[in-house]
Amino acid sequence: MLRNGCLAILMLTLGLPFGVAQGQMLDARRLGMGGVVTSDVGDYTGSNIAFRAVPKGTGGSGSIPLPLGLIQYLADHPTFDSKDSTFNIYEVANVLLNPPLTIKLWQPSEVTGDISIFVAQDSLKVDLADVKRVIPKDSMKQGGVFHVGGFSKSFGKVFLAMSPLIHVKNELTLSDNLRDALRDAVPFTGNTRYGLKDEARAQAAISFQVGYALRALYRPSPDEGQNADPRRNGSTSLYLGAAPKYLLGLAYGDAHSIAGATTGDTLFAGSNPVTIDMDTQTRHAVVGGDGGMGSGLGSDVGAVLYWRNFELGLGLNDFGSQIRWSTTVRRHAYDDSTNQFTTTEVASGERFVSRIPVTTTVNVAKRIGRTTIAADVVNGDFRTSMHAGAEFWFGMLALRSGLSRDQNKMAQFAGGAGYRLGKIGIDLAIATNSRNIERERGAELSASLSLY
Amino acid sequence: MRRLIPIALLLPLLVGCGNRNLILTIDILSFMDPGSRTVNYGPIPPTPSDTVEVFSDSLNLLQGISDVTRVMSASLDVAASFDNASGAATGEVLIYFAAADSTNPFTTTPIASIPFQLLAGQITNVSTHIEASPALAEVLTHDRAKVGLRIIFNGTSFPILGVETLTKLTATVIMKKDL
Repeated sequence: MLRNGCLAILMLTLGLPFGVAQGQMLDARRLGMGGVVTSDVGDYTGSNIAFRAVPKGTGGSGSIPLPLGLIQYLADHPTFDSKDSTFNIYEVANVLLNPPLTIKLWQPSEVTGDISIFVAQDSLKVDLADVKRVIPKDSMKQGGVFHVGGFSKSFGKVFLAMSPLIHVKNELTLSDNLRDALRDAVPFTGNTRYGLKDEARAQAAISFQVGYALRALYRPSPDEGQNADPRRNGSTSLYLGAAPKYLLGLAYGDAHSIAGATTGDTLFAGSNPVTIDMDTQTRHAVVGGDGGMGSGLGSDVGAVLYWRNFELGLGLNDFGSQIRWSTTVRRHAYDDSTNQFTTTEVASGERFVSRIPVTTTVNVAKRIGRTTIAADVVNGDFRTSMHAGAEFWFGMLALRSGLSRDQNKMAQFAGGAGYRLGKIGIDLAIATNSRNIERERGAELSASLSLY
Repeated sequence: MRRLIPIALLLPLLVGCGNRNLILTIDILSFMDPGSRTVNYGPIPPTPSDTVEVFSDSLNLLQGISDVTRVMSASLDVAASFDNASGAATGEVLIYFAAADSTNPFTTTPIASIPFQLLAGQITNVSTHIEASPALAEVLTHDRAKVGLRIIFNGTSFPILGVETLTKLTATVIMKKDL
């Protein structure tokens, strides 16, 4: 029983950050520029729907990742067998946080080392040693909005799209006392509550979208000539895009939990030295089950302005997106006196509206000849990241560099090169990141093909 | 002890991953009744040998440890002080550990034996470190255990009279994950 509980806690605690894996960039051109997005670098249309209307320029129109990291992974990967003496759940979590699609040049040292616990009748001290690295100073926040796969088809300025949408978020907060005890090896004391709070939410839907993107303003430049690329022809152009979406809700669930253990006068005196409190309220609806499917509306909107080869873009994804559900609400409480959980149905068929958080992307770029200098700020659920980068072309060779501030508020650095062969180019990038359970800096080598 | 589960749950969560050890140090003395740490012995009349049973006590240990961990080794540090008022003797302090379901810890083989020599009017401190005791490891990873302390006096000058105080009884258990 305890063993199952341990594994469940392990997976819950370490599995939650998996959503952060979305930070992994497989486009080596974009990665080499610090992960910056512009209308011709990065995900092109995913960040700003107005980019769809901008004519294809010389900067590229797409990329094909080369997952060289799989070779490295096949040659050397952690064991998934918990019975194996080398099994390390932190290494496994890092594989999921960092799918082995890029070559890992260096990674934080693995979490290892002995853990010491001192127990006396009125004293408990836990020294986690190296494991302290995985316990954050603040609450653990993970999540994001994921548009997984799907397809779209353009008909001139109009496009149709359908894609699965998944939104997950979790925030786990340790009480100051518990955090100090685990992070700083502060001894547990009597008459103290060691608690934690967790706020979790997940929802899945299918998005059906009809969009329209157009050039709303155009003032030609005297230097424009035959160059139709507004990024480099000096014209003043404004592109707008909007795509309302219908959201077919497949499942929704949230849980608000608090739990704690309050010590008595003496830590290990008597048969019941601590008082446990646990209280969770859940709300859920699922297609084919309680509440059935949900439905809602949302939109993606965007705009991008070009002026004298300067680009300023604003994209809002999932703007105003929300889904209506018929939910079942339950409360699960632990009774310390009886040592039992009781589950109470608080409501059935209760109307509930969930929100899909907005992802806002603001980007700026300046093209000078064949050189691009760019920066962006991306604000989403729980995270704000900033990127800046530059690309310099020398004939068929491109050199790139960039830096970013990632979701762990750490500065990251990148550099790369590319070589263009007609309509296709090959790109390599080396970049640092903190996509690991230790939230420490590592570095990766990414390779991809660019389509021009 | 069921309520120690939250604390016990932390242990496998933290130690159960990776090829590392959990070093659990238990101050057994702190779990004992303070009154049982000290015993007045004597006056012991002229006899070849006399045995004093200092205490026999039951300890609550961390529940669930044995579910998720595998004991690699265990050691014990014991120290005692004799304030011997009169008489002289040699002897030994014997430490016993037994499972909670045993009726009497003194029926088992002692885990530690500490020799001593007492002289009249002197304070004698003794201590020892017992390394890698499988019996101790087995006992300490269960919910409860029984511990006992016995002193054997071989008198050379009588009457033997004094106060014995147990000053240290610390067990260190090194465990590995067993998820």
